Amino acid sequence: MALLLQSIVLGVLLGGLYALLAAGLTLYFGVMRVVMIAHSAFLILAAYLAWFFTSTTGIDPLVSLVATVPLFFVLGVAMQRLLISRLRPATLTMMSVLLTFSVALTIEGLLGFVFTGTQRRIRLPYGGDSFELFGANVAVVKLIAFGLAAVSLLGLYLLLKMTQFGQALRATIQHPEAARLVGINTDRVAGYGFGLGLATAAIGGTALALDSTIYPSLHWHWIGPLMAIIVVGGLGSIPGAAIAAMVLGMGQSLLQIPLGTTWAQTFFYVALFATLMVRPQGFFGGRLAQRF
Amino acid sequence: MKSRTTTPVRIVALAAASCLTLTGCLSSGSGSEAEGGDDDTITIGISLPLTGDFSEPGKGVQRGYEAWADWTNENGGLLGKDVELIVLDDQSNADRVASDYEKLINQDGVDLVFGPFSTRLVVPAAQVAQDYGFLFVEPAGAAEEVFTQGFDNLFYAAPAVANDHYDYLADHLEEMPAAERPKTAAFASMDDPFAMGTAYGLRDRLDEMGVDVVVDEVYPPNTTDFGSIAAKIADSDADLVVGGTQYQDAVNLIVALQQLDYQPRMAAFSTAPTNPEFPEAIGDKTEGIISPTGYTPEASYDSNKEFVDYYTEKNGNPPAEDEANAWTTGQVVAAAVEAVGCADADPDCQQQLIDWLRENEVDTVVGPLSWDAEGRPQGAHLIQQYVDGAIRIVLPEEAKEADLVLDKPDW
Repeated sequence: MALLLQSIVLGVLLGGLYALLAAGLTLYFGVMRVVMIAHSAFLILAAYLAWFFTSTTGIDPLVSLVATVPLFFVLGVAMQRLLISRLRPATLTMMSVLLTFSVALTIEGLLGFVFTGTQRRIRLPYGGDSFELFGANVAVVKLIAFGLAAVSLLGLYLLLKMTQFGQALRATIQHPEAARLVGINTDRVAGYGFGLGLATAAIGGTALALDSTIYPSLHWHWIGPLMAIIVVGGLGSIPGAAIAAMVLGMGQSLLQIPLGTTWAQTFFYVALFATLMVRPQGFFGGRLAQRF
Repeated sequence: MKSRTTTPVRIVALAAASCLTLTGCLSSGSGSEAEGGDDDTITIGISLPLTGDFSEPGKGVQRGYEAWADWTNENGGLLGKDVELIVLDDQSNADRVASDYEKLINQDGVDLVFGPFSTRLVVPAAQVAQDYGFLFVEPAGAAEEVFTQGFDNLFYAAPAVANDHYDYLADHLEEMPAAERPKTAAFASMDDPFAMGTAYGLRDRLDEMGVDVVVDEVYPPNTTDFGSIAAKIADSDADLVVGGTQYQDAVNLIVALQQLDYQPRMAAFSTAPTNPEFPEAIGDKTEGIISPTGYTPEASYDSNKEFVDYYTEKNGNPPAEDEANAWTTGQVVAAAVEAVGCADADPDCQQQLIDWLRENEVDTVVGPLSWDAEGRPQGAHLIQQYVDGAIRIVLPEEAKEADLVLDKPDW
C-alpha cells in the first residue's frame, strides 16, 4: 500500500517532467511540421549550462534560467530563420529530421569537446531532501521540477490563448495561407514559435539537471520516449502532450511494481503502437491534430 | 490521414538506422604504418574504442598502453628491441573490432596483440586472435561469458572476474556470527554482463548464508528514472543494498534512495564510488558506501610505485583502474616474452607464450596474477569504503587502510 502511494506520487512528478520536456517538441510540429530530433540535445545543452553555471559560481542552477531562456529563444528564432525556413515546404517534415539530426550530433560533439565525456551532476544542498506527504516521500528537487513544468505549461497555454501573438501563432498552426491573407506575418510568427519551443527546452533542461547525472550522449535516451508522448497526445497539441505525458509517466511508474523496469519502459512503445493502430491522430489532439 | 501521422515516426526510425550504418562504415584512417616484420622493433597491434559508447574508458586504456610502451623503451625494451604500438579505433563496435584484429595480424603483420576494452568487444577480438593462434591478454573483459567461449589463448590481466569482485566482503560476512549478519538484501543491477556479474556474485554468496534477497531488479542501460526502483528498495527496507552499477546509474539510484529517506545498514555499489567524480556528485553523503576495486595507486606491490611515479610524471595525474589494467596487460605479455625468449607471429612462439602463462605467476601492479585454464585470474578485488570522508581499503585485513564500518551512518 505504501509502495503504491509512493509510486503514484513518483508517477505524477515524473509525468510533470515529461510534459515539460515534450511541450517544445509538439509545438515545433504544430507550427511548422518540423520533427525536431535535436530537442533533447538542446535539453542536455541547457542542463550542461546550468551545471557549468552552478559549478563555477556556486549559485543555484535555477538562476541560470535568467540567461538560458532568452538565449535559447534567440537560438530558436535564428535556427528557424537561417536553417529550417530554407527547406522546401513539400519535403519539410522529412528533411527536418535529417537537418535536426545533424544539429543533435553537432551539439553532442561540441558538449563532449568542451566539457569532455565525464558524467556530471549538480551538487545541491537539498539534492537528497524530501518531505512526507500521507506516508509518501516527495523529493524537493522533483517537486521543483514539477513546479517549473506547471508554471511554464500554464504560461505557454495562457500565451497561446490570451495574447494577440498567441492568436497569430494558432492561426499560423491552423491555416498558414488564411493567416497570411488576414495580414499575419507567418514567417516571423513561425520563427517566434520555434524560439518559444526552444525556450521550453532551456527550462526543461535545467529541471532535468536538478535530479539527474548528465553526459553528452544522454539525449538519445530521451528523444524516443518524448516522441512517443507527442504522438500519443496528438502531434501539435500542447494540452494533449501534457495529458499523455502524465498518463505515460504514471503508467510507467505503476507498471514498474509488477513488471520491473525493463518491461515498464516498453509501455511507451506499446502506447505508441496502439495509438498509431487505433487513433493515429493521437488521443487528446482533437481537431487541430487531425489536420496532419 | 493515417499515413501522414505515422510518417514522422517512421522517418525517425529510418534516420536512426541510417546513422548507425553510417557510423559503422566510417573508416578510422590510421592503418598506413610500416610492416611490422622489422628486426629491431616488436610491433604490438591493439584496437580500442576511442570513439562511441566506451570512448572514455577506451582512452584510459590507450594512455596505459602508451605509458607502458614508453617506459619499456626507456628501460631497455623487450628482448633488447624497441616496442611499437599500432592502435586502431573500433568505435565501440563489435563488428569493427574483429576486422581491426584481422587487419593488424594479416596486413600490418604485428608480432603481438593486446586486448581491447569491455566484454562486448573482447569476445569477438579474442576469437580472431584464437583463429590465428595468437596469445590474447586483455585488460577489460571480466564477465563470465568471456571465459565460457572455449578460448585457450585468453588471459584477463586483472585481479578477479566480475563474479569474484565482492569475495572479501562475502568472506567477512560469512565469518560473522549469523545473528550479526544482515538479514535481508536488495539488489538492483544494470542489464550488462559485467555489472550483473558483480552483483550476482555477492547475491549467490549471501543466498548460501541464508540472507533473504527481498528485491532483485534489473534495469536497461538507458534507464533515466530511478525513482521507481528506489521506491521498491525503500519499501522492502532491506538491511543491505547492492548496486550492480556503472557510473551514472549508481549516482542516480543513490540520490533517489536518499530522497525516499531509506537508511540501509550497508550499501555497496560497483564502479561508481571509486570514480573521482563520485564525491563531487553525491557531496558529503558518501560516508560508509562500499565498493570493490581492482586497483588503487596506494597499493604496495613492488612495480606499482614505479608505475604510479612514471605515469604521474608523464600525465600529471595518478593512473586509474583502466590505465593500470592496460599497464598490467603489458607486464604480463612482457613477462612471458622475456621468459620464453621470442616475440613474433609464428604460431610456435605464440603457443609457447600461452603455455608459459598457464604455468606461471606474474608480478604486476595489481599484485601477483595467475590464471585457470579458461583465463580467469585467481584473485579477488580489494574492498574500499568511504571512511571519514575519503575512500580507503577496508578488506582484506592485510591490506587495509581503515576498519570496515558495518553500520553505515545515515545518508
